[in-house]
Amino acid sequence: MALKSIESLAPRALGPSPDASERELLERIAKSRDQAAFRTLYGNYYQRLSRLLARMSVRREDIEEVVNDTFWVVWTKAGEFRGASQLSTWIIGIAYRRALNALRRAKIRPVSDEPFDEDSISVASTDDAETDGQWLALGLSRLPVEQRMALELTYTLGHSCEEVAAILDCPVNTVKTRLFRARETLKQVLPSLAGMTGENS
Amino acid sequence: MSSRIPDTHAEAWALLPWLANGRIPASDREWVEAHVAACAECRAEVAAQRMMSTAMNRDGASPESAGTDEQRSFNRLWARIEASESASPASVATGTVQQSSRSSRTVRWLAAAVIVQGFGLALFAFNTLRTSPQSGEIVTVASVSPQTRLNAPAVRIVFAPGASITTINTLLAHQGLSIVSGPGTAGNFTAELSADAVASGASADSVAAVISKDPNVSFAQPVAR
Repeated sequence: MALKSIESLAPRALGPSPDASERELLERIAKSRDQAAFRTLYGNYYQRLSRLLARMSVRREDIEEVVNDTFWVVWTKAGEFRGASQLSTWIIGIAYRRALNALRRAKIRPVSDEPFDEDSISVASTDDAETDGQWLALGLSRLPVEQRMALELTYTLGHSCEEVAAILDCPVNTVKTRLFRARETLKQVLPSLAGMTGENS
Repeated sequence: MSSRIPDTHAEAWALLPWLANGRIPASDREWVEAHVAACAECRAEVAAQRMMSTAMNRDGASPESAGTDEQRSFNRLWARIEASESASPASVATGTVQQSSRSSRTVRWLAAAVIVQGFGLALFAFNTLRTSPQSGEIVTVASVSPQTRLNAPAVRIVFAPGASITTINTLLAHQGLSIVSGPGTAGNFTAELSADAVASGASADSVAAVISKDPNVSFAQPVAR
């Protein structure tokens, strides 16, 4: 039955952390300026934020600055978090806005938007994963940053549509539209994805 | 049972990413799953999304150095927080009794940590000098007099994890710096500029700028006094 496989699709290694335990950490930070709690929370997000920022074309050497700016806000505003949203939504939203502002102000330089050389993808490669990765890099490079973020937040970080909308500060329908367009663009670039469409299973 | 059963291909299609990642709202799950079960195009799309998801996760895998990078980044952030809080405690505290009590606890804890770690460093220095008689000229970090001069220019420093005592001493000596406190909770030290160094034109800003470029230093910032 197809639905069984559908339900087991999500790779959740980097998915949202349990909100309750992270709120407890935030409470310790707010109430007792607990460095250990702060370090744990930082560790929970360092990798997630780093890869998200890399997807936003923030240069590797600038990623730490944005991550630390984000956690500077977490440290100073911990007591002001009222729990209207998921903690992960709040933290990732801060990082997204700071990176976006910084990129717009050109304070930090985006990774150069050099044209991707399609000929550099080795069709003779015996490593399917490597080839898929190269095509994916090509496909993602052709998407606007907002669409790339919607993809990353949904497929890699495992956020719900409502959480993605909160992080990107846009309506839920906008998230759906961005993902729809991103998927259509990627299908034009990624041969393996295009091949799946319309295929009976 | 869902109160709303659109069961249209377009609406189901738009929700497939969250069916694939397991985060579709409960109110939509039932009718979307029913649609997908009957729609070959949607089943193929979900399979395609699984491939994309797998590729994206593989593509963004962390390098082996991620753990080291994380600790180094955190050290820098913590040093920045400590520098900010010691420079302007009023900007951190919001005036409540509770926060002021927290600050007192932090200060007492830090003072205790400095004393305990001072003993540790003294013991380390003693052992170093005892087992390395040829290094008799070395002035260790712990043996530097912690006597502070009023309003002397100072720099907050976090040394690189691999920096040796000898290297640190050489670096400090070249800049006319003397450790007066530390290590703090983030491994940060406070070092004051000697009167001679100040007389020769050095300032906390200039020294911090110079040593922050040294590979043995992870972080250096002038202390506001």
